[in-house]
This record gives sequence, structure tokens and C-alpha cells, in this order.
Amino acid sequence: MNCEQCQELIHDLVDGQISQRDEFTLNTHLEDCLDCESVRQDLASIVVFCQMHRGEYEAPPNEQALWLRIRNVIEAENGGRVNTQTVSRRPSFLGRLLGHTWELSLPQLAASTVAIVLLVSLATTVGLRRWGSESTHGAPPQAQATNNVNDRVWQRTQAINYWNQRVAENKARWSPEMRDTFDRNMRVIDEAVSNSMNELNRNPHDEVSEQMLNESLNDKLALLKEFSDL
Amino acid sequence: MRIKLLSRQRPVRATLIAAGAIVTLISLSVGAAINAQQQLSKRYPGGKNVRVELRNISGTIIVESWNKNEIRLSATIESKNAHVEPKQINDCLMVDVMGDNRGRGDIGDINFKLQVPVNSSIDVETRRGNINVSNIRSGLVRAYVSSEGDIELSNISATHVVAQNVIGNIFFDGEFSSGGTYEFKSTKGEITIRIPGNSAFRLVAASPTKQIKLNDFWNNGFKTQDGRKYVGDVGDGRSSVSVTNFSGSITFLRK
Repeated sequence: MNCEQCQELIHDLVDGQISQRDEFTLNTHLEDCLDCESVRQDLASIVVFCQMHRGEYEAPPNEQALWLRIRNVIEAENGGRVNTQTVSRRPSFLGRLLGHTWELSLPQLAASTVAIVLLVSLATTVGLRRWGSESTHGAPPQAQATNNVNDRVWQRTQAINYWNQRVAENKARWSPEMRDTFDRNMRVIDEAVSNSMNELNRNPHDEVSEQMLNESLNDKLALLKEFSDL
Repeated sequence: MRIKLLSRQRPVRATLIAAGAIVTLISLSVGAAINAQQQLSKRYPGGKNVRVELRNISGTIIVESWNKNEIRLSATIESKNAHVEPKQINDCLMVDVMGDNRGRGDIGDINFKLQVPVNSSIDVETRRGNINVSNIRSGLVRAYVSSEGDIELSNISATHVVAQNVIGNIFFDGEFSSGGTYEFKSTKGEITIRIPGNSAFRLVAASPTKQIKLNDFWNNGFKTQDGRKYVGDVGDGRSSVSVTNFSGSITFLRK
């Protein structure tokens, strides 16, 4: 048995949950190993102490009174300094504001936190209701979904507009064949976008049309990027 | 009578001379046009894991395997202003026509033909033009046409295959490897996939025009959304196949 195995068994020994065979092996090791014997003794002392003093504890000091005493001592020490400073120069309003120490007891702190949380929740609720009523006032769910689709398309359109501008800058340099190719392909993609949009306007939750719209917008963006380099 | 004959012979001669001059001019201009085209032919040593990357602007790309352990690149370059500077880094051959010709304006068509070892990874793309890849057995075959051009992938056995264009047909004839991914996408064209009857794959096929024909590969396990999208397994679904066509047909054929 090595020391590591021994010290694992010591815990079982102290708890009284060791088998006879392990106890015999452990005692054999402890007779030879002073370090492990020392660990066993320490652990046994701790356990005995805890068993003897079970249920006894010292009353905690009056926390509030302790803080009051500390505060009085600090104020007494600072008070003299403040007096000497006020004689020489009165601090500015900003200085007093910044230098002010906010001392709150635990209930005060809890009450403040609750008040802040309530205020923020109230403001958020009111804000959301107001925003919601402005954006979808009287709109049926289908119209709301359509608005979502339009919003998404609008976001992508911003990127598309940027690349369209890049293409427009370079298009004059292209050969007529390349220009025709680009225009023809762009028309085909625009048709795919338009078809998907129409389908989504009819059925805003249509998964296939949504997939097609996303992919066709991606394709449009890809085509613009590819040709903006030419 | 004699005078009349002479007067007739002169216009005939003039016509003959003029015709000869026109023929000469035409042949000279055709010769000049032929001479304006550049031909490029280079060979590169091929290792065990050859990879070919080609970014073209306009023109056809043909890739085919051969039984040599080297890469042969041939190109017909339409404009004398065009530059093609292939770079080989280790086992990767890169041709970036876009990068090589930035700021040169219109450089016309460049038609490529690549002969590669059969196990080469192929990644080719062009803004415009057809792509044809045949007889490849490797990890990757990617054929991408930014705008219009047909894509034909014949006798392909690769772990990852991507074929995408906007206008044009896509034809795939090959095998789906276990664990592989296969993506075919067109906006306006016909997509045809010809595979062995015992192929096993998970399919997601979408075509808003409802032109999806799974033929021998259809089974009752497929879920469909009113014929515009099919999702399901064929066999044990060992590979993943995604086919999207915005306004054309999707057809599966059995070899």
C-alpha cells in the first residue's frame, strides 16, 4: 500500500466505515509510515473536536452596531480634517457631489434595486407597447408577417444597392456581350426574387418561398460581387 | 465587231481583279485574326494529391483525366492583351485570370483545357461559359458559373461535388460516395442527375415550378410540400444531396 491509498482509507477509518481487511492493511502501513500516522491523528483530532462541540456556537456580533461603531470612528477621525479644510477653502458643488459617499443599509439597497427594476420594466413595457402600436397598428397577423419579409428584403437591398453602384461604375468598360450577359442573368434572378415575394405575400409562412427568396437574394448579391470586379 | 469584243473584255478583267483583291484581303484579315489568338500549352508535374484551381472570366473550361502523373494546361486566348500566368505551389496548380488581368479591361474569351491525373481535386469557375469535367475520382469537384453556361460533370466519383450556375443546364453523371455532400443549383435551366440504382443518399430537392422527377428513386418515405420540395432518404441516406432549381426541372435518372 502506498501513502495515497493509505490516506484515502484513513477517511473511511475515521468515519468508522472501513472493512476489517482494509483496516489491517492500513494499520500495517501506519506502523511504518510516520507521515500517514500524523495525518490520521490530525483528522481524528478534528473529528473528535467537532463531535464534542456539536451544537455550540458563538453568537454573531450585532452587525448593525458594529458598522455604527466603525462609522463613528471614521467620522470622528475625518471630522477634524474636514473642519480644518473648510476653514481654508469651501469645496465646489461638483466636488461635493463627487466626493459624497453614499451609505446605504442592506434594506435600503434592496429597496433601491427593486425600485430600479420596476422602473426599467415599466419603461420597457410602455415603450414596447407604444412602438408596437405605431408599427403594426390595426395590422392583421398576415400583414405583420409581410412587413417582416419586406424588412428582411429591405436589409438585403441595402447591400445589393452598394454592389449595384460598384457594378454601374465599371459597366462601361465591359464588352457588349458581357453587359448583355449580366443584364440577362440579373433579370432572371430578379424574376426569381419577385416570384418568391409574390408567393410570400400570398402565404407569409411558406417555407419553400422563404428559402427561395433567401437563396435568390444571395445569388443576386453574388452575381453583383462577381461582376463588380470586372 | 472587234471593237465590241474589246469593250466587253475590259469589264470582265476589272471584275476579276477586284474579286481577287477582295479574296486576298479577306484571307489576310482571317489570317491576322488567327494570328491574334494566343495559344498556351504547359505541363506541370503532378503529385499524389493534385489540386487544380481555375478562375476564368469568360470562356469554356474542359477538365479531363489522363493516365499520366502530370497536369497539362492548354489555353486559347482570344485577346493579345490577356495574360495567363499559372502558378504551382506544391501539388496545387492555380490559374487566376481575374487576378492576372486586373485593370486590363475586356480581354475576351479564354478557353481552357486541362488534363489531370484521375485523383485530382478540381475547383473551377468562370463568370460566363460552359464547364465540362469528366473522369475524375477525388475529394472535390466544384464547377461554378457566376452567370450563364452549361455544366456537365461526367463519370465523377468525388466526396464533395458542387455545380452552380444562373442560366444553363447542369448534368451530373457519376456516383454518390458514402458520407459525401452534393449540391446542384440553377436559377433557370434543367438539372439532370444520373446515378446508379443502388445509390444511398438523403435528398433535399426544391423547385417552385413543381418539376421534380425522382423516377426510380422515389419512395413513400419522401415528404413533400405540394410538389415544390421533396425531403427524404433513398436507401440508408449515407450521403447528402441538395438540388435547387428556381425555374427549371430536376430529374433523377438511373444508370
